[in-house]
Amino acid sequence: MNSFIAFIMGPMVWISAIIFVGGLLFKGISIIQSVRQKEPYIFSYMTVKHSLRSMGAWLVPFFPKSTRLRPVYYAISYLFHILLFVVPLFLASHIVLINEAFQVSWPALNDGLADWLTLLVIAALIFFAVRRQMVPEITYLTSAIDYLLILLVLLPFVTGFLAYHQWFAYRWMVVAHVLSGELMLIIIPFSRFSHMLTAPLTRAYMGSEFGNVRHARDW
Amino acid sequence: MKPWKRKFIHRGNKMKKWTICAVVLGLLSAAGWVVVFAQEDQYLERLDSWAFESPRRPGAVFSHDDHIMDLDDDCSICHHVYEEGELVPGESSEDYYCSDCHSLKVSPDNKMPLEAAYHNLCRDCHFDRGKGPVLCGECHIKE
Amino acid sequence: MQTQDNTMTEQSRETNDMKSEKATDPAIESGLKRLTPERIQKTINQVLEKETGPRFKAYVETCMRCGMCADACSFFLSNDRDPYFMPAAKVKNTIWEMLAKKGNVSKDFLRQAVRISHLECNVCKRCAMYCPFGIDIAYMMLLVRRICHKLEITPQYIQDTVNSHSVTLNQMWVKDDEWIDTLQWQEEDARDEFENLEIPLDKVGADIMYSVIAPEPKFQAGLIYQAATMMHAAGIDWTMPSTPGWDNSNMAMYTGDNEISGRIARAFFETAAKLRVKRIVMGECGHAFRSVYDIGNRWNSWVMPPFEVVHALAFYHELLTEGRITIKEKYKKKVTLHDPCNVSRGRGLHDKARQVVNMVCEDFVDMVPNREHNYCCGAGGGVINCGPPYKNERMVNNRNKAEQLAATGAEVLIAPCHNCHSGLEDIIHHYDLKMEIKFLGDLIYETMEKKIYTPGK
Repeated sequence: MNSFIAFIMGPMVWISAIIFVGGLLFKGISIIQSVRQKEPYIFSYMTVKHSLRSMGAWLVPFFPKSTRLRPVYYAISYLFHILLFVVPLFLASHIVLINEAFQVSWPALNDGLADWLTLLVIAALIFFAVRRQMVPEITYLTSAIDYLLILLVLLPFVTGFLAYHQWFAYRWMVVAHVLSGELMLIIIPFSRFSHMLTAPLTRAYMGSEFGNVRHARDW
Repeated sequence: MKPWKRKFIHRGNKMKKWTICAVVLGLLSAAGWVVVFAQEDQYLERLDSWAFESPRRPGAVFSHDDHIMDLDDDCSICHHVYEEGELVPGESSEDYYCSDCHSLKVSPDNKMPLEAAYHNLCRDCHFDRGKGPVLCGECHIKE
Repeated sequence: MQTQDNTMTEQSRETNDMKSEKATDPAIESGLKRLTPERIQKTINQVLEKETGPRFKAYVETCMRCGMCADACSFFLSNDRDPYFMPAAKVKNTIWEMLAKKGNVSKDFLRQAVRISHLECNVCKRCAMYCPFGIDIAYMMLLVRRICHKLEITPQYIQDTVNSHSVTLNQMWVKDDEWIDTLQWQEEDARDEFENLEIPLDKVGADIMYSVIAPEPKFQAGLIYQAATMMHAAGIDWTMPSTPGWDNSNMAMYTGDNEISGRIARAFFETAAKLRVKRIVMGECGHAFRSVYDIGNRWNSWVMPPFEVVHALAFYHELLTEGRITIKEKYKKKVTLHDPCNVSRGRGLHDKARQVVNMVCEDFVDMVPNREHNYCCGAGGGVINCGPPYKNERMVNNRNKAEQLAATGAEVLIAPCHNCHSGLEDIIHHYDLKMEIKFLGDLIYETMEKKIYTPGK
């Protein structure tokens, strides 16, 4: 058992991190390459100024009109995306492990606060799932994979929360936590989670078209 | 029906969906209840964490007697002595506190801060011997 | 959904019932009969694999099914928020399915795909502004139309305009001599007002080439008359081409017949090049502007158009702010302005348009929403060009526009785009809105001083 734990907390972390970073890197490079090959016009229209203008406008909460039309969903979604990164990266337990592996460290969130934020992430994910059931236009678009994606994000947070509180079978909870976290990282480049890479690109292109050619706002 | 006629969405399912959501939420809160109140009080022998300023976790659960037995009375395995970064074989340091050498932060005299010293010593040994707890919460059991 | 009065609600209910009997289209039906499963699959895969690239791939892979595009779509809003009409659903019912089945789709599916892409989407790109990721759903609907074109199942009426483009390089089967004849006729009529007025044909080296869409000589020749008087009064050095290439409209752009679309735009630019003009000014048409400002130039490998293309709105603005045309007496009635997608969202001319309207009219009231966020006329993007068989459902699908118009309380609606103009006219009649509809040029012509501009005066 200990050797299994040593594996999933050692080499497996490396493997999933490499697949995550490498996969996104590969995806990014192949996008650029195929743009060069098949759609070089995209570079003719992209400008840094208008890309940033568009991204900036869409990063300001409730600035774009469509975000004001669905304020609850937007607010939860906005918060969720921030917490999705902040909670794991600034969790004391994670920083301790990183510190022991790489001798780097940064300030951690207070444990109690992190606990509540984790609950917020979980609540947001449950909200997303319920929303898929309740709002007719979302239901219409939803397929099983959308729930699967929610589950994939939900798992590391739920298991992490339970492990922190040492409820249920602690050892198995940590194993589940580590594995589900790694699974999520591995899946990112191969699923729609890769919107963490492609969304800024599509945003930048649309922002450039609107700013550079259409001289209109795209928010 | 004309072939291009759309598939109508079933708005009648709305009640059913609410019911499902309510049941799921109910089950979740029941599970939470069980978890919170199923904790047992138990006494555990722990390491004293006085050397740490405001420690985030309770001192690790630790039985000195068990370790003496398992390590065949070789105190120097844990109570080691390092001189100029080199382990001094055969020497032991039972009369010192760990924190006498291992300061809280890295300093010129000490490359290994106290927290990492504990973690590495205990966990790595447990991993090497395939025995003993290796996960955070297995030593830092909630009080 | 808020409705303005009871009659409108009654009417929309009536028309909603009519939805169950949707028009059949002989071109679609006969086209479908000719198709084999092999050809369907081959064509779809050819378009989706060879004619798209990373952009399409990113759009498909990035959509998280959040549903924020729904609020953008006139069809969705007009049909009581029926999910079937939301932009992403249109992609789901066409592109996603084609991808999932690797092009192996049925004829019934294709019949629905033609409807969705040609009749239930105006490719107005409003949804691109509502998507947090800026996914261009109009681009994907045009891809579906491209597939339909290659499968020869494009709706009959719009296909006929493309056939006309292909044969005559204009949209309305206008013959070469008819074109010249019409211009001379308008010139003659306009001489009642301005003695020496000319519509200079093929004047090489003129400052401006003025171009129109084929429906103008065909049945709205008065618009050419008005433009000529404005040009004359403003003392503009202008010309109109007498040869094919005078028509700037481009329906092939909307049917996915990219080859003909490119040919039209190329002939247009070549005509301007032959006349060695400095700029191209065009009448109040939105899709034509899209063709020569945004799409046609790209097909012909120009990043931006080879000529400065000036839409009528910007040109009016120029004439009025430079004082080349002066307004005798401002227009009195209460007016509102419709922002056509292709010149507001497509070129950001909405603010200039407002300035012109305020210079010409006394009482201007904006509609809500406006500018880039204006609701679509429901006619553009080739939808109205699919013809009378689809008029009833077009009226149903545009209820929200009628509500938006009624809420302004204006007596006159200014629609500076031919497609919008025709579509909105239908809406006004169908929903009995008691509004007049006018081009901005109509109002300028009506209110301007009929005297010739002399510099320095």
